[in-house]
Amino acid sequence: MEYYSPTDLNEAYALLDKYGEDAIPIAGSTFYMGHREELFDEVEAVINIKQLGLSYIRQDGDGLHIGATTTLNEIFAHGLTRKGPFGILATTVQELNINEVRNMATIGGEVCIAGEVDMPTTLLAYDADIVIGGSKGVRRMSMADFHIGYLNNALEPGEMVLEVQLPQPPANTGGGFAKFERTAADLPIVNVATRISLDDAGVCTDARVVAGAATLSGIPERSGAAEAALLNQVIDAALIEAAAAASADVACINDFRVSAEIRSLWVKCGIEDALKRAFAAARQGEQS
Amino acid sequence: MNAINLKINKEHYDVLVKPHWSLAYVIREKVGLTGTKTGCEMGTCGSCTLLLDGKPVFSCLRMAIDAQGCDIRTIEGVEEENNGELHPLQEAFVQDHGMQCGFCTPGMIIAAKHLLEHNPDPTEQEVREAIGGHLCRCGTYIRIVRSILNAAAVMRAGS
Ligand SMILES: Cc1cc2nc3c(=O)[nH]c(=O)nc-3n(C[C@H](O)[C@H](O)[C@H](O)COP(=O)(O)OP(=O)(O)OC[C@H]3O[C@@H](n4cnc5c(N)ncnc54)[C@H](O)[C@@H]3O)c2cc1C
Ligand code: FES
Ligand code: FES
Repeated sequence: MEYYSPTDLNEAYALLDKYGEDAIPIAGSTFYMGHREELFDEVEAVINIKQLGLSYIRQDGDGLHIGATTTLNEIFAHGLTRKGPFGILATTVQELNINEVRNMATIGGEVCIAGEVDMPTTLLAYDADIVIGGSKGVRRMSMADFHIGYLNNALEPGEMVLEVQLPQPPANTGGGFAKFERTAADLPIVNVATRISLDDAGVCTDARVVAGAATLSGIPERSGAAEAALLNQVIDAALIEAAAAASADVACINDFRVSAEIRSLWVKCGIEDALKRAFAAARQGEQS
Repeated sequence: MNAINLKINKEHYDVLVKPHWSLAYVIREKVGLTGTKTGCEMGTCGSCTLLLDGKPVFSCLRMAIDAQGCDIRTIEGVEEENNGELHPLQEAFVQDHGMQCGFCTPGMIIAAKHLLEHNPDPTEQEVREAIGGHLCRCGTYIRIVRSILNAAAVMRAGS
């Protein structure tokens, strides 16, 4: 196995092209090293992508840009992601209560894993785009299209994730995140993220209700029924309860960790909790 | 094999490594510093924690080859940094029985040291969060938390 640590993108793309499916880009290495015994026989080249200048958080007219190798703790500490319209990102990180993993794991690594991770659920609720680069150029794809199935993303050989972009949400928008896990070291059994926008009269003009980690499809899914229950309505506690109950349209997986029935119940409870937070935050123009 | 140089507790070590070898493995088996422990080797126990450029990380999840040029501090360096005396945290773990078998202790001390350097007066909740990724298979948690809080008080009084 060869190891490379390129310092510019063209060098990285040339290596990804040279090795094709036999190369693996590595960022925080927290997933790769945990699976090294399975992976290292299959891989010919490990390409460390941490020296490519992809660690940054910045805001412009389009919204928020987060470089792929930005660590979860950098997101937790940064003013732009800790509070204000994108504060849900720090809240999501906070729910992974292992400081040492947060110091290493990156947002690019999180989005590439279509499985039991938290950030993709939140990013789907915020209509994020994934910016993908390769020697043929740069393309972008919505978070909704980026995950194809369990542990399967839309990257082609030779491509890597460069950036995650979140559009600026309208004023009076709030977000909420909630999660169930056994211990700090456990992966999420259920995670949910919600986003609500209100007009001046308090009517819900936009809503996202997303469940992850628990789904039968293995990737985060929106609950169309829960969103429809909220849209164009004046939100109150009864409506939040009704919207959470409507989330039964998300089919949950039945496996050795937790049964589908319990997962569905936890999805409902998590959504109710996350919607309450989103609603409170939308009324204050802050996210939590 | 790749020839690399690691800077551990201010000393330089030349070692030959394979890319998938973890920093924990290389530090223990090739460098010979066995204070850093390995329990799960998959990020779920915390016993391999060390400071990499000042931040606590799990050395079982870091490729050794990816630690070149970094400032690595292990439990062996804690005493050296403290002029050869036990660090107040180590002292507190002894005084307050913050360990039974001691296997989790190096990782706990490193995580706690980082916490106290950034937050000299933590709440009990903040201490618990700082060691959130650390397992103590002897179940000494209550005394570990107490040791860290007592060390914090000693360090505040001394500074
Ligand atoms: C004990 C433990 C508990 C955890 N608990 C949680 C949790 O509760 N919630 C949560 O959200 N996360 C959790 N995580 C983190 C999560 O499981 C992954 O380990 C982490 O998201 C991976 O990020 P990384 O940067 O370390 O990725 P790496 O290990 O470097 O890479 C992961 C995968 O993504 C690919 N990749 C990485 N970056 C790119 C890129 N820019 N372009 C293309 N491909 C790329 C790699 O090739 C590899 O296949 C936990 C991790 C551990 C070890
Ligand atoms: S050995 Fe590294 S976390 Fe368990
Ligand atoms: S004292 Fe034995 S593992 Fe903690």
